[in-house]
Amino acid sequence: MTKNKNVIEVEGRVVECLRSAMFTVELDNGHQVLAHVSGKIRKNYIKIMLEDRVLVELPPYDLTRGRIVFRYRN
Amino acid sequence: MNTKPFTSGLSEHAVMVTRVADRQWHAWDDDLVVGRGYAEHRPDGRLFVSIDAWHDATFDRLAEAMLAQLPGPLYTVVDEADVELTAGWRRAGFTIRRREWEYVVPTDARVTGLEGVLPPSGVTIVPAGQADEGLLRAVDRAIRDEVEGCVGWQSMPAEVMCRAEGDTIVDPSRYAVAAAPEGYLGLMRVVTVNRPRIGLVAVRAGEQRRGIGRALLAHALGTLHRCGFAAAWTEVHESDQAASALFEGIGARPMSSNLELVR
Repeated sequence: MTKNKNVIEVEGRVVECLRSAMFTVELDNGHQVLAHVSGKIRKNYIKIMLEDRVLVELPPYDLTRGRIVFRYRN
Repeated sequence: MNTKPFTSGLSEHAVMVTRVADRQWHAWDDDLVVGRGYAEHRPDGRLFVSIDAWHDATFDRLAEAMLAQLPGPLYTVVDEADVELTAGWRRAGFTIRRREWEYVVPTDARVTGLEGVLPPSGVTIVPAGQADEGLLRAVDRAIRDEVEGCVGWQSMPAEVMCRAEGDTIVDPSRYAVAAAPEGYLGLMRVVTVNRPRIGLVAVRAGEQRRGIGRALLAHALGTLHRCGFAAAWTEVHESDQAASALFEGIGARPMSSNLELVR
């Protein structure tokens, strides 16, 4: 886990693709967060799918939500 | 670089927007970054923007600041299912310019019905990595000239980098082609990063409706299937009925849609 610029970043794995372009991501610490895709990822046509390994940014005041900011190459 | 703080006065919250770099904005709530905005030029010169914020009010303030400081027209891309984000851009005055369907394409010939599909007489499929680079670039230029002004290529939101020679081939090894004695008649690009994506299927205007596109698909999907991929992805412009028919005819299913918005 890294904390940079007031943002907590945690790696995890997409375990569920939900409606409204949301995803359930299981973090490496076992917690699950509801995450959406960052604008930069969307703008660059990077497709997020089940089982993808991703980097999630968490707001410091609500650790149940997240934003997928990077998709790792498998 | 403009680092002067920007406040919009839209609400009583003390969120401040600062342009922290030429193409980057931050929304601050005290010492916390609660939103970010980015702008990025595509190779075709269009300026695309994106905003990541945890609250609508922050999104609106970032959008207001960015739109006031950037020259139009501005573009962005959203997943149509992301209703909150789409609504945010609409509040900022963006409208839909283009909709693309994302298809998942099966690779198994028992599903696609492409088993045994061959190109028409006199045409052969040259696998990716074996195409003659000169002929490949020539067919790319020819097809670009033919579709210029049509939906699909000219207005593609994805990055299409036109090279000095007039073609768009970045990595020739990605392309399978349909070859005839007089030259190449069609081409297909598949790129696999985590999963295969069909980036392009195109056939010369005078050679369409001969089954060349289906033969290219049969070849590429068969290759993917043998490599262990059960499905590939592709995007189709909503008005491109020929492409939709081609993919739906082999069992592809639309899974989601992307909107390109403009203001």
